[in-house]
Amino acid sequence: MNLLIVLLVFVSMEGATWLIHRYIMHGFLWVLHRDHHDHSNEGSLERNDLFFVIFAAPAIALLYRGVQQNFSNLFFIGLGISLYGMAYFFVHDIFIHQRAKIFTKTKNPYLLAIRRAHKQHHKHLGKEKGECFGFLWVPMTYFKMYFNKK
Amino acid sequence: MMPYTYILINFFTVVICFLASFDRRIKFNKLFGTYLLSATVVAIPFIIWDIWFSSMGVWWFDTRYTLGLVIAGLPLEEWLFFYCIPFACVFTYYCLDQFFNLAWANAFNTLIVFTAVIFLSVAGLLYYDRIYTLLTVIVTLVTLCYLHFVARREWIGQATFTYLILMPGFFAVNGILTGSIIQSPVVNYNPADFLGVRMITIPVEDAVYGYSQFLLNIYCFTIAKKYINPEP
Repeated sequence: MNLLIVLLVFVSMEGATWLIHRYIMHGFLWVLHRDHHDHSNEGSLERNDLFFVIFAAPAIALLYRGVQQNFSNLFFIGLGISLYGMAYFFVHDIFIHQRAKIFTKTKNPYLLAIRRAHKQHHKHLGKEKGECFGFLWVPMTYFKMYFNKK
Repeated sequence: MMPYTYILINFFTVVICFLASFDRRIKFNKLFGTYLLSATVVAIPFIIWDIWFSSMGVWWFDTRYTLGLVIAGLPLEEWLFFYCIPFACVFTYYCLDQFFNLAWANAFNTLIVFTAVIFLSVAGLLYYDRIYTLLTVIVTLVTLCYLHFVARREWIGQATFTYLILMPGFFAVNGILTGSIIQSPVVNYNPADFLGVRMITIPVEDAVYGYSQFLLNIYCFTIAKKYINPEP
């Protein structure tokens, strides 16, 4: 049961991230997200930092309350958010920052698809007309690109 | 032999790294001055913290294991601790960085900071009444967030990996100090002030405290090196 909660939360977080990215960052917080697209200035705050707070704050609160309530469901919801955040940042750091030269020559179709979709998202320099707001899950088109035999 | 215990711990921590510093492939001896400067910068707040906690009885030292010289409530050996231990740490980091490409570890930077922030925050919130736990959590949180979000250092993963490699040394040094191998601990802790979770004999807080001390030493050393010994 607890495992199910963790898994469900993990999957829903992709949806939540999509919504936050689509309607908040490309919405009223565009001011913080803009330079991530057009590199208009060397803003010290990255989109990543904003997600960091968005993921970390509820996770901490839920885990804390959950432990206090003797490991209630809140704890496992917090755990799901934490695990999603960890997956998100790991993938983000590898792909976006290319901090490590691992996976640069990957043939893995899943990794290629999300990299391609992320590039597509960045083709648009403005707030509007965005596409591919997802992160670990992207539109089918991109998966088809790499999963189908040529 | 007993009074030499703590000084010998310091000595053995340093001696191998010190001798290896003169190896012509390493030449860390050219950086001794740089190291002393950066270690002093980091040692100041940590020694103040140490004096404060000793005076409050959060921890105390069994002076039978020391030579007997006490400065500001801390045995001389404890003062040297803040130079000897980081020396081995910075030396190890420097060598690994020289000879190996550890950049792959930096793909884990945000993951490490994120996991640490969540874990430490929850621990701090739950055990805010234990001062060693709380202060260790706060110092480590501030250190990690500063390095990652403000100073934007790219080497957090690499440094964390080095810290893991240093674990056997950490267990040896802190193990003896907290009473592994020898009959009684050199450093004693007030049970009311920390979690009470010990790895063999080492309070789990020590590992986190050591981590922030290590990161800050790398941070200051790399800055000092940039200005004093710029790369040709």
